[in-house]
Amino acid sequence: MSMRKRIEGLFDRQVADLVARQEFQDLENGRASPQDYDRFVASVVRTHLKSPQLVAFLYALAPPRAADHLRHNLLEELGIEDEAGVAHPSLLEDLARGSGLGARLAEFEALAASDIRKFAGDPLLYGTLRDVGLAALCEVTAFEFMLSRLASRFARALASRRGLSAASLRWFTHHSEVDVRHAEQGLDDLVEYIRAYEFSEEDAWTIVDMTLRENVFVKRYFGEMSVRL
Amino acid sequence: MRIVSATAHALRIPFVEAFAHSARERSCSDSVVVRVVDDAGVEGWGEGAPRPYVTGETVDFMLRHLAESLCPRLLAVDLPPLCVPADLPAIDALIPDTPTPGVLSAGASRAALEIAVIDCALQRADRSLAALLPPVRKKVVYSGVITAGSRDKVAEHARRMKLIGLHQIKIKVGVGDDVERVRAVRDVLPNASLRVDANGAWTPDEALRTIEELAPLGIDAIEQPLPRGDIAPLGALRRQSPVPLMVDESLVTMADAEELIAARACDFFNVRISKCGGLARCRAIARRALEAGIQVQIGSQVGETAILSAAGRHLAASIDPLAFTEGSYGTLLLSEDIAAETVRFGHRGEAPLLGGAGLGIHVLEERVRRYATNTVTVPAV
Repeated sequence: MSMRKRIEGLFDRQVADLVARQEFQDLENGRASPQDYDRFVASVVRTHLKSPQLVAFLYALAPPRAADHLRHNLLEELGIEDEAGVAHPSLLEDLARGSGLGARLAEFEALAASDIRKFAGDPLLYGTLRDVGLAALCEVTAFEFMLSRLASRFARALASRRGLSAASLRWFTHHSEVDVRHAEQGLDDLVEYIRAYEFSEEDAWTIVDMTLRENVFVKRYFGEMSVRL
Repeated sequence: MRIVSATAHALRIPFVEAFAHSARERSCSDSVVVRVVDDAGVEGWGEGAPRPYVTGETVDFMLRHLAESLCPRLLAVDLPPLCVPADLPAIDALIPDTPTPGVLSAGASRAALEIAVIDCALQRADRSLAALLPPVRKKVVYSGVITAGSRDKVAEHARRMKLIGLHQIKIKVGVGDDVERVRAVRDVLPNASLRVDANGAWTPDEALRTIEELAPLGIDAIEQPLPRGDIAPLGALRRQSPVPLMVDESLVTMADAEELIAARACDFFNVRISKCGGLARCRAIARRALEAGIQVQIGSQVGETAILSAAGRHLAASIDPLAFTEGSYGTLLLSEDIAAETVRFGHRGEAPLLGGAGLGIHVLEERVRRYATNTVTVPAV
């Protein structure tokens, strides 16, 4: 099986695992409490608020054939890919405000900043930036993949069950099904990164597998790295 | 200084993935964390990881023993100052040894309380544990441990360790197909120092046969080949074994240490804080081993939190010479740790010394409470 297929299979399993989680189902069927919806929104904000910085880090490591797409992603995150662009952190702030969590934005900002501090300050597991970059690119691509499949379902749930406006849900609609092409490109970039940096298939897979041995979506949206309100 | 209250929490933190050896498979931590508060309102944290198959202690026993026997004794006395290494045994001496049927030693209970009191006293004095355990090295290098599992699983773990740069690896054996499983690791890590740990799974005949088969793979130590018990077979095995032997379950108390030394039954001691009853006892056992020409490994319990990891870091930094160190897996194994700081090792298994007062970590009480399955409080006196 090709590396791309293996990675896509792993992403698919993680998405299926997320969808099977009670917390996800409760968001969709309305059994979640108002606090659960707020906690989910807060966790999404915390998880993605610093995405531009992470994408910038990945752009710095991008091999030539993946650089264009990663630069586009970075410009899009910053809201300067075209005249109508809006910075994604602003969309996340709109999401928090639309959920009545505007007063807690500073708290979410501090949590997201502390995540970056840990990412940068914790002892590195791998010995090269090449390896660290693969792990980071893998996680970012996994989220892009998941959001391309589930963002519209999250948006529908928050609109119908929590009454959030379309304006406050723009971050989700931006990442919804129309982004499938982006996710496909992300997988291509990942494979190109592995090729360009001359990873052996075994080493590349080991890093991908270690990065995703926990379900990162569950961990960040509902689990240990979610926001406790 | 007096301790005025103590709280013991039984903790179960899920693992990122299950960990197995010949005696047990676990998918979450099993430890007791102790919080003490002194008369100035300063807190200290300690931890013990009871292992029924090693010392006879269980989590329930620990909670009861701490609440009924150990903590009340500590709450009633003025604690001595802790300034220099010679002060370390003073706290240990205040914790009573109370023989209990079915319990070989209450090491985990003692360790949890001793570490908490030491952390508290040092926090109050704004002094690091390094004052009592002066470091002799600038970093601690940890071994990786490979869980018992299929040949493919073991090889997968070995590949992870190769990428993490670990160069000292212990493989859990005693589960069948041991030689092939160790060979799979050797194939991935041709230059690493390999040890194996049977957790007492073999008979003397099985042990000798398997060790002879493993020896050509380049093994630096065989840990606990036989079950704890009569030392004579262990001594006989050592005389025939082509690979040095390490004791773990056979070494719980200082009396065990003396018996093993007298019988010349091993080449290494695996000294673990929770098993051996705390920092002072571990230091004493390690010192005795080195005097007797036995090498020392500072080991750990699977699923230790940042508290035992930090205590182990300080202890390992202070022992010279030190053959191997285990532990500090942190969030490589736990889905979440309970301290603000990351205590886990990094690339090549290297971890820096810990600064700051006490253990050098800030335990997050909210997280402790979140993972607590049972809590007992010894009220203020």
